[in-house]
Amino acid sequence: MSQPLSQNASAPGKSTKVILFYAGLILATLFWLAPVITLILTALKDAGDFAVNGAFSLPKFIRWANFSEAWETGVKNYFWNSVLVTGFKVPIGIALESMAAFALTHMHFKWADRIFTYILIGLIVPMQMTLVPLTLLMNALNLIDTLTGLTILYIGFGVPFGVLVMRGFFRTVPVAIIEAARIDGCSWWKIFYRIALPLALPAVVSLCILDGVATWNEFILAQIFLRSDELRTLPLGLVQFSTQFSTQYDQLAAAVLISVVPIVLVFLFCQRYFVAGIGGAVK
Amino acid sequence: MATASTPEKTAGLMSRASKSAKASDDQLRFLPWLFLAPALIIYSVVVVYPMIYSSWLSLFRWDGVAPTKVFVGLENYGILLTQNDVFWVALKNNAIWLVAALLLPTSTGLGLAILLNSKFRGSHIFRSIFYFPSVLSLAVVGLIWTWIYHPDLGLLNQALTAAGLKAFTRNWLSDPNIALYPVILAATWNAVGLPMLLFLAGLQTIPEELHEAAKVEGAGPVRRFLYVTFPLLRETTLVVLAITAINALKAYDIIYAMTNGGPANRTQLLSTWMYFLTYNYNQVGLGTAIAVVLFLLTLMFAIPYIRFMTRKT
Repeated sequence: MSQPLSQNASAPGKSTKVILFYAGLILATLFWLAPVITLILTALKDAGDFAVNGAFSLPKFIRWANFSEAWETGVKNYFWNSVLVTGFKVPIGIALESMAAFALTHMHFKWADRIFTYILIGLIVPMQMTLVPLTLLMNALNLIDTLTGLTILYIGFGVPFGVLVMRGFFRTVPVAIIEAARIDGCSWWKIFYRIALPLALPAVVSLCILDGVATWNEFILAQIFLRSDELRTLPLGLVQFSTQFSTQYDQLAAAVLISVVPIVLVFLFCQRYFVAGIGGAVK
Repeated sequence: MATASTPEKTAGLMSRASKSAKASDDQLRFLPWLFLAPALIIYSVVVVYPMIYSSWLSLFRWDGVAPTKVFVGLENYGILLTQNDVFWVALKNNAIWLVAALLLPTSTGLGLAILLNSKFRGSHIFRSIFYFPSVLSLAVVGLIWTWIYHPDLGLLNQALTAAGLKAFTRNWLSDPNIALYPVILAATWNAVGLPMLLFLAGLQTIPEELHEAAKVEGAGPVRRFLYVTFPLLRETTLVVLAITAINALKAYDIIYAMTNGGPANRTQLLSTWMYFLTYNYNQVGLGTAIAVVLFLLTLMFAIPYIRFMTRKT
């Protein structure tokens, strides 16, 4: 089952097997990526070409203007709003989450288990459970329809997952190191940011990425708490864009592609952190 | 002690040291709270308090605007169960969605993990490719698949026509009898990555020697899977099933992006129907009651999961 296929390829029967194996896998891949390929082809096409030849054909000529037009029709705004919200949410969130996770793992705190369970509840609460009271609260605080308000909500909802991941990693920091620092008279605060946090750096990076992607993709809170078009974040803006320009598939596809590019870049360059982060969450 | 230091200085140092030792004892009691406070406060205000308040609100008849709410006890739940047909449609759709989510992404994820766990050339690239849809937002996944299902221009109908199966083409998302299934398929595309990743991690903890030993004993690949791999993946499987179930009950964005609950409310889920009742029809009591029902459903899967997560402490 877990034989290294390519290395056993010397025998003639084996090599046909290998070719068949790769052919099958590549076919499956094409099938799997067909929606994405369609998206890219559509974004590069001119609307007439699309209407005549459909989605799954090579463009007659590449129309880059789709991207600039989509960008100017509103995607630009959505994009920068998403950058702003993600840019504030992720670092602030991780700071709070890692402090909390550190207290729960290394500070000999007798309430640690109970508090951790209390925090884990947040992982399973359906968003719908919180919407009405949050609407009232945000209204009272004048935070409806502001990116600040949305960012605060994101930080709150990010706590359970962040604490879970950071706690998983802090637990791998040897107690001996912490104890040694204590004996040397190091304050807890110093131990946290000079010793534990640097040791957990891979976890911080993982969490940054997972959290960044989740924030970038968030929909329901943005939908409820942002009202004006110029404040919309990308997922919300795109759905809005799709109802407004429902027939301009070329521009819509270009808009979707623009929104996906940052995610793809992060994914391509930081894949191992995805794996590490998700692994840390279930350890 | 350095000769240069005056007696006063020494005394000062010593008293500071003993003071700090004493302070650290006191500190131990409240310092963890200080570290926890920012996260706990914002989490409690944003997540926990609204959750409790929602449960309370589900006992009132209220339009969300009027200054007075009428306490009606469990009446909202009664209305949902006896008079609100869409509630039952949504509940049934949630059940279908849940069953599909427990079967499709999990088994596909397991299959891919087993396939891609073997170290052939390029296995890492294939892992990324199959994981890729999972990093896209469900709104984007919904939009992309809406095109795939487009009656005239969509890939699906075009492919069916090209394959000579024109009889099978239809308006996938407008046919009330089937519209839910194309949406579930799109959600599955997005949901496969996580189980795959978790199963891959699980497979890597199984020592190679076990497989070798089984092979020596003459066990074929199927038997090795059934008697070696699968039993050792039991814990991973439980985590995967719990997470997929919890995520399945959270589905919302993709419905909103693809069908908006239509045609004729036939693709509503509890999550989307809660939104409609609360924000379009101003039935805040009914809406929050649905949210509570959704939460109780989630708890069925979440309680074993949380037990598992906190078990090792």
